[in-house]
Amino acid sequence: MSTLRIEHRTRFTYASEIVSSYNEARLTPAWLPRQRVLDSRVEIDPSTWRTTYRDYWETDVVAFEVLQPHSALTVVGSSIVEVSPVRQRDERVGWTELQGPRFQDLLCEYLGNTPTTEPSEELKQIAEDAAGRLSPELTARAICDVLHDRIGYVPGSTSVHTPATHAWEASSGVCQDFAHLAIGALRHVDIPARYVSGYLHPKRDAEIGESVAGESHAWVEWWTGDWHGFDPTNDREVGDHHVIVGRGREYRDVPPLMGVVAGETSSLDVRVTVTQTA
Amino acid sequence: MSEGRSTPWAGYAPAQAWDEAMDVHGEVREPYARVYAEIDRMSGEDLYARAEALASSYLAQGVTFDHAGEERPFPLDIVPRVVGADEWDVIAPGIAQRVRTLEAFLADVYGSQHCVTDGVVPRRLLASSKYFYRAVAGIEPANGVRVHVSGIDLVRDQNNIWRVLEDNVRVPSGVSYVLSNRRAMSQMYPDMFGAMGVRPVLEYSQRLRAALAKAAPDGVDDPTIVVLTPGVFNSAYYEHSLLARTMGVQLVEGRDLETLNGRVYMRTTAGRRRVDVIYRRVDDDYLDPVQFRPDSALGAPGIVTAARLGNVTIANAVGNGVADDKLIYTYMPDLTRYYLGEEPILPIVDTWRLEEKAAREEVMDRLDELVVKPVDGSGGKGVVIGTKASQEELDATRRLILADPRGWIAQPVIQLSTVPTLTDDGLEPRHVDLRPFAINDGDDVWVLPGGLTRVALQRGQLIVNSSQGGGSKDTWVLGGVRHRGSTVVPPPEAKVELEGVDSVPQDAHPEDWAHGQQQQQQQQAREVSGS
Repeated sequence: MSTLRIEHRTRFTYASEIVSSYNEARLTPAWLPRQRVLDSRVEIDPSTWRTTYRDYWETDVVAFEVLQPHSALTVVGSSIVEVSPVRQRDERVGWTELQGPRFQDLLCEYLGNTPTTEPSEELKQIAEDAAGRLSPELTARAICDVLHDRIGYVPGSTSVHTPATHAWEASSGVCQDFAHLAIGALRHVDIPARYVSGYLHPKRDAEIGESVAGESHAWVEWWTGDWHGFDPTNDREVGDHHVIVGRGREYRDVPPLMGVVAGETSSLDVRVTVTQTA
Repeated sequence: MSEGRSTPWAGYAPAQAWDEAMDVHGEVREPYARVYAEIDRMSGEDLYARAEALASSYLAQGVTFDHAGEERPFPLDIVPRVVGADEWDVIAPGIAQRVRTLEAFLADVYGSQHCVTDGVVPRRLLASSKYFYRAVAGIEPANGVRVHVSGIDLVRDQNNIWRVLEDNVRVPSGVSYVLSNRRAMSQMYPDMFGAMGVRPVLEYSQRLRAALAKAAPDGVDDPTIVVLTPGVFNSAYYEHSLLARTMGVQLVEGRDLETLNGRVYMRTTAGRRRVDVIYRRVDDDYLDPVQFRPDSALGAPGIVTAARLGNVTIANAVGNGVADDKLIYTYMPDLTRYYLGEEPILPIVDTWRLEEKAAREEVMDRLDELVVKPVDGSGGKGVVIGTKASQEELDATRRLILADPRGWIAQPVIQLSTVPTLTDDGLEPRHVDLRPFAINDGDDVWVLPGGLTRVALQRGQLIVNSSQGGGSKDTWVLGGVRHRGSTVVPPPEAKVELEGVDSVPQDAHPEDWAHGQQQQQQQQAREVSGS
């Protein structure tokens, strides 16, 4: 078990003064059986009107507006989260059950690919080959192994709107791409898969109290009788260094910040700091 | 029929479809007796002269529609469509029942989804609908109403059975033609309305206003209602302005609205004024750039949040499109039984669900005798009538269906009923459908007696939409004996004034529009990248 303090600071600087800005922030870690949120807040500067709600995907959302002249906007999500290690999962289903009508309908939202997650022909073939000889669980692992071998982690090589196939063709991407690629391949062979937005403490053996530059991160969960989290970017199981904010079909269901502003953004600075406190 | 002179009815011969005015032996059906006689007194020249007068009055009033990008006067036929009292007394409760089912379904879809857990509809059906808007899940409208206005399209088949053809619960349009048609016809035939006991339609606007007022946020006694239009270049702008003025409320565009602290305001010369109810005629995707299309300036950012907070009512509610998806249509009889515990009064048209393999295979074999429709189409777009399609069209359709079975349904060809219609060759039977409009005020579903009868102007044509070159008829619902004790004849329509609709404003401001678009381009989605 670990206790993590997370600070996710985003600063927009505008080319000229902005008078109207409407946004939504998804920065609040989820309450889950293995994740207790001890403290959580979202601060906005300039200070402003806001409201909160829980969306269709069960993510806590802060909706806010800034209607006074401002040339910069800072949004800081801070939280303290206690994360337990993942229990050994024992529920497993085979292909027959997984591909049967019950689960295919129950979990249909996590089975259809979107233009963002649609895999390339080559990746489809890889997924089918794996599914032809392995169990669903091992197929999922095999797909992630291939991604780890084939795709280089290259910050800035793609944007959040890049379809997964672009990252595949370029053999490089960031965490969203790894997640979208894995999701696309898994769904292609009828394994329900969802996108997870959250944070990762990057050091496996972190010092207590040491603040490190962390990541606004994304990984996947697939369903083979139970949801199983896996981090394809780092090719590792999700553990007590991963903090979940929200889950959806793809990035667009759980963006950390989205909104509209009448004006142009000239720069954007994002910093995530993670401190293990216990 | 008069002897010794040519009557406009000479040569009128119903074809194989059900003709509403005359049976196969040439006997005039009872509801049409008076209309028949009135026309029978005229000469052919008389009839054409009156039709000409109708058309020019429409052009002068600006009652137009958009056909292939061109504004044209909306053709109003000189022969009304008459519906008997006994028929209407089945149709109206049938429509009301349909609306109550749609309301229950939408509340469920955006709430607990019992219809899925109870196995009435597959989850996949909802999840795969393009018009299932997850952004509005959990929003509860003030008085529970989502379908404030609906247009449920009906057809009468060759066996004289009225059937629901489709549900329109997003932003159904066309009611202004009902009001304008009535006004023009009551000038043309001033005597007949009272004599025949035609039920009035002009109370529509006041009914709508009352229903919108009842839908206002809790605690608002004297709500400010606005009609939100995409602007003067929208093909239904005439309707938007007519409804706003006959309701006595402000007509606004997106740039007139702003949200502040989760409430919606309109900008007026006297400053900001709080808005409580938005009767919007802007599509969902364009309503709120925060939630939907970030490049849209037709709505206002933040109004979905305001609706979620219960600070404003959006009518019709966002996300209603999931209920008029044509695949959901196939489940409507089951949904009526499930939610209301009632048998559906109005049947649907038999429909093949092309997602189901056996159905798909059968349809593939019989494509040349069926109608196939895209599930999310409107205005007759994308409809392929197998009996009239070329081999190339059928092959192309087959490919489209196989590529996206969820996207299509198939139905047998319905020979829509016909009504006498004035053509260049005199009176001829032409196919019609009917769009009755219903208003739900939360306590009661009121069905406008009549509705928009659309006519296919080409001989044998089965698609009646105005966007496909159709015309319209005034629909006369006969009153019959409605009240015990004494016969109450509704007031003659001619005496009811449609306040202020004589002229439609032609004051388009293209420069304002350009401004709107500019702002639209400046708005940009911003999202933050992760690792």
